[in-house]
Amino acid sequence: MATTTGSDTDSRTENESQPVESDPEQPAANVGWRYTVSQVRRDPTALAGLGIITIAMVVAAVAFLDQVVLPVFGIEQYAIAQAVWMSPNAEVAPQLLPPAWTTNVFGEGTWVHPLGTDDRGRDILARVFYGTRIAMSVGVIATTIALVFGMLVGSVAGYYGGRIDDVLMRAVETLYAIPFLVLVIVFMVAFGRNLTFAMIGVGIANIPTFARLIRSRVLSVREEDYIEAARAAGVRDRNIIFRHVIPNSFAPVLVQATLQIGVAILIVAGLSFLGFGAQPPTPSWGQMLSQSRDYMLPDPWFSIWPGLAILITVVGFNLLGDGLRDALDPRINN
Amino acid sequence: MGRAQYTIRRILQAIPVLLGVVTITYFLMEAMPGDPVSIMLGPSPSAQQAAAIRAKYGLDQPVWLRYLNYLWDVVQLDLGTSLYYEVPVTQKILERLPVTVLLLVSSFTFAIVTSIPLGIISAQRRNKPTDHIARVVALLGVSTPSFWIGLVLIIVFAYQVSWFPATNLVLPWASPAEVGVDSQFDVLVTSLHHLVLPTVSLGTLQMAALTRIERSSMLEVLGEEYVKLARAYGVKETTILRKHAFRNAQLPLITLLGLQLTSAIGGAVLTETVFSINGMGTLIITAINNQDFALVVGTTLVLGLVFVVGVILTDLSYAYIDPRVTFEDAD
Repeated sequence: MATTTGSDTDSRTENESQPVESDPEQPAANVGWRYTVSQVRRDPTALAGLGIITIAMVVAAVAFLDQVVLPVFGIEQYAIAQAVWMSPNAEVAPQLLPPAWTTNVFGEGTWVHPLGTDDRGRDILARVFYGTRIAMSVGVIATTIALVFGMLVGSVAGYYGGRIDDVLMRAVETLYAIPFLVLVIVFMVAFGRNLTFAMIGVGIANIPTFARLIRSRVLSVREEDYIEAARAAGVRDRNIIFRHVIPNSFAPVLVQATLQIGVAILIVAGLSFLGFGAQPPTPSWGQMLSQSRDYMLPDPWFSIWPGLAILITVVGFNLLGDGLRDALDPRINN
Repeated sequence: MGRAQYTIRRILQAIPVLLGVVTITYFLMEAMPGDPVSIMLGPSPSAQQAAAIRAKYGLDQPVWLRYLNYLWDVVQLDLGTSLYYEVPVTQKILERLPVTVLLLVSSFTFAIVTSIPLGIISAQRRNKPTDHIARVVALLGVSTPSFWIGLVLIIVFAYQVSWFPATNLVLPWASPAEVGVDSQFDVLVTSLHHLVLPTVSLGTLQMAALTRIERSSMLEVLGEEYVKLARAYGVKETTILRKHAFRNAQLPLITLLGLQLTSAIGGAVLTETVFSINGMGTLIITAINNQDFALVVGTTLVLGLVFVVGVILTDLSYAYIDPRVTFEDAD
C-alpha cells in the first residue's frame, strides 16, 4: 500500500465522490471573499439563491427574536407575532380550514387565514413562517459543526498521511456507512430527543463529506512548491495547514458547505417528520407535515405548504451553491 | 493484482468498517437512558424478577464484556433476541430486508432509467430550452424532501384520481391466494402497481442527483480532444454520443450511485413510514421507540452491510468498465 495516500482505490473513490469539487490535479484557485463576491454578483442564478436565503434568514431572525430573545427579557413569547399578525400557537379559528380561495368539508377559506388552519385551529401561514427558524438554525449550525471537524480530520489525515491517514479515514468511512438518518436518530435517542442533539447529530453525520473533500484538497496542495518552501523555511505543520492548505481549499469548501446546508435542512425536516426534532408546540415544517398526514383526504392543502417552504429554502441553497461553483471553478470560466 | 484478488481485498476492507458500525451503534445504545428490564417487566418489577431477567440477558455483566460477547455472537450470525417482538433479531431482519431491498432496487432502477437519457439530452442541447427544463427538474428533485413527494403523490394519485394505491404494498413473491388473484404473474403486476408511488417518492432524489452528474460528465467528455477529432472526421453526432462519449461518461455516475445508497436508505425509512410499508426502516423506528436494543444494533449493522455491499459492487463494476483503473493499485 502506498505509504502516504492510502491505496489508489481509496483516493480514486474519494476524488470522484465529490462531484462538485474541482479536479484535485488542477492548480488550486487562489480565491478570496472579494473575488467570490464579484463573481456571484454577475451570476443571476447565485443571486436568486442569495435572495431566497436572505429572506429566509430575515424571517428566521424575526422568529428567533420573538421565540427566544424577547422572552429572556420578560416579554411574552410571540409578542411580535401577535402585534403584527397572530401567534403561531394561538388556537383561534375553526380547525382544518382550507386556503382562502377554496372550500372543504370543514368550511370555507377566509383571508384571515390565507393558507388555512391546522388540526388545532392554528394559522398555517404563521406556523410556516416561524418554522423557518428551526430549519435555518439547524441547517447552518449543523453544517458549521461538520465543517469545523471535517476540516480538522481531513487536513490532518491528508497532511500527515501514513498511519494517521489510514486510521482517520477508516473512522470517517465507518461513519459514512451508517445511513445518515439512522445515525442521527440513534444519536438522538442516546443523548436527547431535542433540537440541540439534532444539530449535533446532523453535524457529526456530515463530517465525512467535509473530511473527504478537505483531504483530497490537501493531498494536491501538499505537493505544491510553496508548501515545500514553507516547510524548508521551518514553518510549523500547524501553521502550514491553517495558513496555506485550508485557505487554498476555500472555493470547493464554500460550495460544499452551501449545498450541505440544504441537505441538512432536508434531513432535519425528515427527523421532525418522524418525531425526532423540535418538540411541539414549537412550529417546524417536518412536524407540520407529520400532523397533516391524518388529514390528506379532507384537507390536502395542509400537507402542501410546509413542503413548499422546505422546497423553496433548499432551492435557495442549491442555487447559490451551484452559482458559486460555476463562478469559482476556473474550468467552467474558460 | 487479479480480479479475484481485488474483489477479496475490497471485501476484507469492509470488515473494519462493519466492526466500526457495530461499535458506534452499540455504545450509542449503551448511552441510551432507560432500563430494558423495566420495559420488559413494567414500571415496578420485583427485585428477584429483575435479577432473573438481568442474568438471562447477561445485563448483569460489565459493558465491555457484553460488547465482546455481542461481537462474538455477531461473528456467529447471531444478532440476539428482540425484546419487543420476542423473536431472534435475524429472523425479523430476514423478514423485512427483502422489502427494503425491493424498494431500493426499484427506485434506483427508476432513477437510472430516467436520469441517463435526461442527462445526455441536457448535455447535448446545452443552454437550449430542453436543457433548461431538465436542469430545473433536477434542481427541484434534489431540493424536495422525499417524504413530501410521497405525501403529494398520495394526495394526487391515490386520493384525487385513484390511479395508484397508497398503502398495503403487495410483494412480488406473495402467493396468489394471499393477494386474491389467479396467477403469480398477476401478483407481479399488482405488486408493480403498488410500487409506483413509493418508487417515485424515493427515487426522485437519486434521479435528480444522477441527472446532474450525467449532464456534467457528458459535457466534460464531449469537450475531450478525441471527440473533437471524431467530429472533425465528420462522424455523426449520434454515433459520437453512442460510441465515443457514453461509456466514458458513466464512470462518475457509477461512483455516485454507490454513495447515494446511504441517503437512499435514510430515504427508505421515511418512504416506508409514509406508505406504511413493513421494511427495515419502519422496523428500526419501532425498535427505537420501544428501546429494543438488540434490534436497533442489528438493523443498523445490516443497513450498514447493505451500503458496504453496494459500494463494493459499484467499485467492482467501475473496474469492469474502465480498464485503466482496474487492477493497477499499488500493494
